[in-house]
Amino acid sequence: MAEKPFTLAVPDADLELLRKKLELTRLPDELEGSKWDYGVPLEDIKRLVAKWKDGFDWRAAEAKINAIPQFTRDIEVEGHGTLNVHYVHQKSELQNAIPLLFVHGWPGHFMEVAKLLPLLTAVAPDQPSFHVVAFSLPGFGFSEAPKEKGFAISQYAEVGHKLMLALGYNEYVTQGGDWGFLITRVIAQKYGGKHAKAWHTNFPVTGPPSLTYSPGLFLRFLVTPFSAEEKKGIERTMWFRSKGRGYFEEQSTNPQTLGYSLADSPAGLLAWIHEKLVTWTDGYPWTDDESEYFCVVKGDMSSKPVLTPSPLIVEVLTWISIYWFSRPGPAASVRIYYEASTAKDWDKTQYVPIPFGISLFPKELARVPKLWTRAIGKLVFASEHESGGHFAAHEKPAELADDLKKMFGVGGPAFGIVTGKSGYTAA
Amino acid sequence: MAEIPFTLSVPDTELELLRTKLELTQLPDELEDAKWDYGVPLGDTRRLLARWKDGFDWRAAEAKINAIPQFTRDIEVDGFGTLNIHYIHQKSQVKNAIPLFFSHGWPGHFMEVSKLLPLLTAESADHPSFHVVAFSLPGYGFSEAPKKRGFGLRQYAEVGHKLMVALGYDEYIAQGGDWGFGIVRTMASLYGERHVKAWHTNFPFMYKPSLSAHPLIWLRDLVTPYTAEERQHSERAAWFVKKSYGYWAEHATMPQTVGYSLADSPVGLLAWIYEKLVIWSDDYPWTDDEVLTWISIYWFSRAGPAASLRIYYEFGTEEGQADWAKLKSPTIPFGLSYFAKELPFVRLFWTRVLGNLVFQSTHDSGGHFVAHEKPELLVGDIRKMFGSGGPAFGVIPGRDGYAGK
Repeated sequence: MAEKPFTLAVPDADLELLRKKLELTRLPDELEGSKWDYGVPLEDIKRLVAKWKDGFDWRAAEAKINAIPQFTRDIEVEGHGTLNVHYVHQKSELQNAIPLLFVHGWPGHFMEVAKLLPLLTAVAPDQPSFHVVAFSLPGFGFSEAPKEKGFAISQYAEVGHKLMLALGYNEYVTQGGDWGFLITRVIAQKYGGKHAKAWHTNFPVTGPPSLTYSPGLFLRFLVTPFSAEEKKGIERTMWFRSKGRGYFEEQSTNPQTLGYSLADSPAGLLAWIHEKLVTWTDGYPWTDDESEYFCVVKGDMSSKPVLTPSPLIVEVLTWISIYWFSRPGPAASVRIYYEASTAKDWDKTQYVPIPFGISLFPKELARVPKLWTRAIGKLVFASEHESGGHFAAHEKPAELADDLKKMFGVGGPAFGIVTGKSGYTAA
Repeated sequence: MAEIPFTLSVPDTELELLRTKLELTQLPDELEDAKWDYGVPLGDTRRLLARWKDGFDWRAAEAKINAIPQFTRDIEVDGFGTLNIHYIHQKSQVKNAIPLFFSHGWPGHFMEVSKLLPLLTAESADHPSFHVVAFSLPGYGFSEAPKKRGFGLRQYAEVGHKLMVALGYDEYIAQGGDWGFGIVRTMASLYGERHVKAWHTNFPFMYKPSLSAHPLIWLRDLVTPYTAEERQHSERAAWFVKKSYGYWAEHATMPQTVGYSLADSPVGLLAWIYEKLVIWSDDYPWTDDEVLTWISIYWFSRAGPAASLRIYYEFGTEEGQADWAKLKSPTIPFGLSYFAKELPFVRLFWTRVLGNLVFQSTHDSGGHFVAHEKPELLVGDIRKMFGSGGPAFGVIPGRDGYAGK
């Protein structure tokens, strides 16, 4: 059960296979004027594949990832044996910092926490500090994948909880979005009070079933007294429901069939995930501008200049590469949809009595009325933002970190919730 | 316009690229005891991959395909310019054979007609004979794909109809399943009476008749208990919606996104289609080479596999849906063959809503790819419908399908 430091070092053979496959990429055609209506535009994929093949420096990206303290340890999961779990663990310099477990979703990964780390672990008299733990969900990133059927939300929750205990954090708080919302909700349901002391989400959706039955009618009825912003949120919800759920339907019914494509085709995996990175964010500038290339002239002026991809392209390719090089492969990551859809052992409606906070970003995929979020749990903190989408920790780290600081800081509704760890220097 | 013969001859470079990709295939893992619950089992994929790499002879498969008379011709489509269309055209020895237009769907292709050909074109005093035309839908097989958005059922129907007329078949009948149902029904509606004289389907895609539109049928539905067969069909349809609908949702919303995978990964394409071949058919004993030939047609298709998905998107748009909803019900004779494992659920007293129902039969076997699975049953029904004594006998004056009297 010992903690082992983890250094990401993708074997050369894997890099070589990727390069070979990229070179053999066969692209489809595209209808005139299709833009984003039919999926990721051909031009985007062409550009990204070209750069992934030639110019993207994985070793440099890997080094940046390795600058963040990572570890692995074995976690026992009831009915599933032992899984070797990979996680980020960045401690604050302050001993009494608040232990916080960050839980990602799909197509997210452990590095979604990266921008939050310096903000949350900072020590200052006017803000609480946190120790941050962010694990790769089993089946994602560099955690082992479960081998048996039925590894669903309760099991992910069990892993997160046991990890915190193993790290000596008997009491902790959580932050999660996407699947991380459901996972931290079950953590709060099962381990709340004694261990999980408070929880925060940027994805306060009560779950697909609620939106499935007469969503239009129900939401339209509720939308009448609401503001223009909230109406926009409903529009967004309806867009997602009617245009954005194809991946969900396939992943929750035939993840293995889809998995063959994701495991075998870098371009296919790239398109599958990149579509979400673009359509689920709020204008986050993933796509590059030719002018953002920077040019390195080697040796004398007569040599050809070497172009390297813009930092934004590097971001996308690093993101996809984490999936491509993931320990269990990308196909394992989509099984969570199947398992969560078929699991019967968790109650989606159980009210959670521990303090609960939400941050609302306008381009999140579903906007439920605030009234609904009160049914999830003991809502003590809510904030709304003018911009930002689904990948809030990556798009709006400052805003998200600020919200956590407000919720857990002096004067905040969850101040001092973790015994003896207020996040401030002892007075 | 004379017919331009088509010989399928995939370039060596494409075979080489496929082989190289197959050799570099990276497979996922699989959960213990997953079987078919999560999708195509890894064991099946491994076996098919091994055969595709080593043992499957595409040139032999190609030669078999080329034994069937194929052609191409340019067809002008309103608003879409000219598309070069690939089709099979097998004539019967019987001069007065009935011209029959066959339309496949997804993930079908022109070769779905192949087992029907010897049966439909056969000459006999006991049953009618047919001239058979089966096109590759634009964007499938070896037909060109449309370049612009909005190519919907109406356009596929236009292509099919213009092809028949170009071949000298001013009057003809039409048969189709899957999207082929939508296409031939559209043809029957738009070109019926004057050109299309009757139509037949094995894929009755419809919703339960509504109270407002068909009150008597609606009431009958309410008071008539389900038979055992109807319950089975209904369960099959419910299973489809629950477990087998994901591909449709993706095709109808983001066909380009999934298209990158299908264009780039042979094993990805294999799984995507093979899953349907197995779970939509009625325990058809696919041989590995049969499957690989089928998938290879998609892999080597003229427009590439991604183009084939767009029919779902276009059907799902507001225009596509409105077009289908307001399509005038065809008045010409209509026949239905309902096979045990076909996907849509209908009760036999609903189907008159689809058209002028003159022939209906059910079978306790056969699934979605029935022309391939049970060609003799399908042809048996078509012969009954159009043969002497049948409800659509002689529907084309001068072409009753029998040799001269």
